Amino acid sequence: MEVRLENLTKHFGKTAAVENFSAVLDSGELTCLLGPSGCGKSTILNMLSGIIPVTSGKIWFDNRDVTDMEPADRGIGLVFQNYALYPHMSVMENIAFPLEIKNVAKDERKERAHEMAKLVHVDNFLDRKPGQLSGGQQQRVAIARALIKQPQLLLLDEPLSNLDARLRIEMREEIRRIQLETGVTSVFVTHDQEEAMSISDSIILMKLGVLQQEAQPQELYDEPVNEFVADFLGTPPINKVFGHIENGGIRIDSGPLCKLSGLENVKEGHKVHLSIRAESFLVNSSEPVMDARVVRVFVMGKEKLVYLKLGDFEVRAYIDSDTELKAGDRVQLGLRRKGVFVFDAETGERIR
Amino acid sequence: MKKLKFSAILTYLFLILGAIIMVFPFFWMITGSFKTSQEVSVFPPQWLPKSLYFGNYKFAFETAPFARYFLNSVLVVISSVTVCTFTTILGSFAFSRLRFPGRSVIFGALLAMMMVPFEMLIITNYRTVVQWNIHDTLWALIIPFMSSIFYTYILKNFFDTVPDSLYQAARVDGCSDWKYLWRVMVPIAKPSLVTIILLNAIASWNSFLWPMLATSSATVRTLPFGLYNFVTEGGARNEVMMAAATIVVLPMLILFLFARKYIVNGVARGGLKG
Ligand SMILES: Nc1ncnc2c1ncn2[C@@H]1O[C@H](COP(=O)(O)OP(=O)(O)OP(=O)(O)O)[C@@H](O)[C@H]1O
Ligand SMILES: [Mg+2]
Repeated sequence: MEVRLENLTKHFGKTAAVENFSAVLDSGELTCLLGPSGCGKSTILNMLSGIIPVTSGKIWFDNRDVTDMEPADRGIGLVFQNYALYPHMSVMENIAFPLEIKNVAKDERKERAHEMAKLVHVDNFLDRKPGQLSGGQQQRVAIARALIKQPQLLLLDEPLSNLDARLRIEMREEIRRIQLETGVTSVFVTHDQEEAMSISDSIILMKLGVLQQEAQPQELYDEPVNEFVADFLGTPPINKVFGHIENGGIRIDSGPLCKLSGLENVKEGHKVHLSIRAESFLVNSSEPVMDARVVRVFVMGKEKLVYLKLGDFEVRAYIDSDTELKAGDRVQLGLRRKGVFVFDAETGERIR
Repeated sequence: MKKLKFSAILTYLFLILGAIIMVFPFFWMITGSFKTSQEVSVFPPQWLPKSLYFGNYKFAFETAPFARYFLNSVLVVISSVTVCTFTTILGSFAFSRLRFPGRSVIFGALLAMMMVPFEMLIITNYRTVVQWNIHDTLWALIIPFMSSIFYTYILKNFFDTVPDSLYQAARVDGCSDWKYLWRVMVPIAKPSLVTIILLNAIASWNSFLWPMLATSSATVRTLPFGLYNFVTEGGARNEVMMAAATIVVLPMLILFLFARKYIVNGVARGGLKG
């Protein structure tokens, strides 16, 4: 089922939690809503589920306008961060509860709950209470309960954030497997960029209730539309140096002139931010764009992490482990085409 | 190690002493109720009756309608506690989950009313009961106790601790408020509910002042007031009074023994502070 959000807006009193938000979630895909805490991810999810009413705008499920529809009539499954399992019911009863409400016959309920339990690998714990399960197992049960009605849309609000690091990786692969197996259109809320990158078909990155960019994970990483997007993605965080345009290049504050192409149309003296991913530096390249001084070198095995001084700024660069470098060396720096972005210092918009 | 042992012994000594002080009156009452009048009056006092003598019970049941009192008590307790529990559940849910205008104002007003002492309510309640023409009937003992702000307050506090996401999950599945209340909230609140029911039942069983005021005929008398009447009017002998008192106390004692776990849990949980 394709989900379309049209100019969706939500105000809580004076706070605008979501502002004029438009996006299309493709059928059968897993879309991540990514953004820092408080940017309105949960609000959007709750509007999709119908738990909170919209202030304005429309929500379409295929050709159905569901904007004012009751949650129960929307055909969705919902998974919460804290699992929200009924503590007094067994795993079996929890999974079957949505069917019980729909007055499905007991035998069919049992059968379908069994099937679901198998799908999420909790069929060994059917008689246990949620309190007797680990966090990961509880989350599986919650997913089974959300899926048993065969929803057209599965909504997950930070489903992994209560799990420890190892389990988080395991469970996100599980969620992806289950999603692919069932083919259900899914929305996955997270503030963890790595989680979003690894699990989704498409990522919507937002900030303060406003959509910044909707793209496939790799595209989001390679072609951020603004500085916020570039800053948000990547470990370690992208390097940032400030400067202004000089002779078609960038003069880094109290530092070297960085000769970049494609800046011919920007007016002289314009303030810009240059963002460079750590893996986009080339040391001693044949086409150097500036020089820099080595501050520290860390050997990491497969590569070296080098701290370089560029004017007022210190940047991190990953370089080949064969390259011989030590603190104090001066190097000629080249830049790859990928992972180097120039942003307007004021608006944060990308300058291409 | 030694110190720990010593303090443990001391603790247990205190506990045993406390237990003896608590249990002794009950022991004396129950054993006394089975003694003949000679056994009661011998000196030095005798710990246990030689044989179980039921004459005192027989006498009590014959001279005063204790069976009737007992039945009345049971009727009043069961009906008032049942209805009160029901209204408590509904009220707590409404104040905890439903959004309606004036919710906090109404709840605040109810809490303020909780400050009014029971002795003051008795006068107005009495006037109401007389006006409704139900004084000196069992209704007078039941109707004023069909709801309780205090228990509603306690249960609401518990309901408030149940995460909202359970409610939302149920709503997305199409669960009505009514069904959610009975299928999810009430089972989760079971320990609190049992505590409330027990405390309510004990209070209702033991209530004395109100029945004394609201009823006068023997046919609608409940046990505590019946016992009081029996003692003051009959000038009864000690061992018969013990038997009568045992009849009054025993049911609650048994109830308490069975539900001890819940009561202690409920109180320890802090749900009953204030
Ligand atoms: N019921 C509410 N009343 C008032 N303001 C609210 C309410 N719910 C959310 N907000 C505000 O709306 C904004 C977005 O909240 P939301 O919960 O959607 O953020 P989020 O992206 O899910 O954050 P997190 O990652 O911390 O869960 C926040 O500024 C929040 O304070
Ligand atoms: Mg959230």
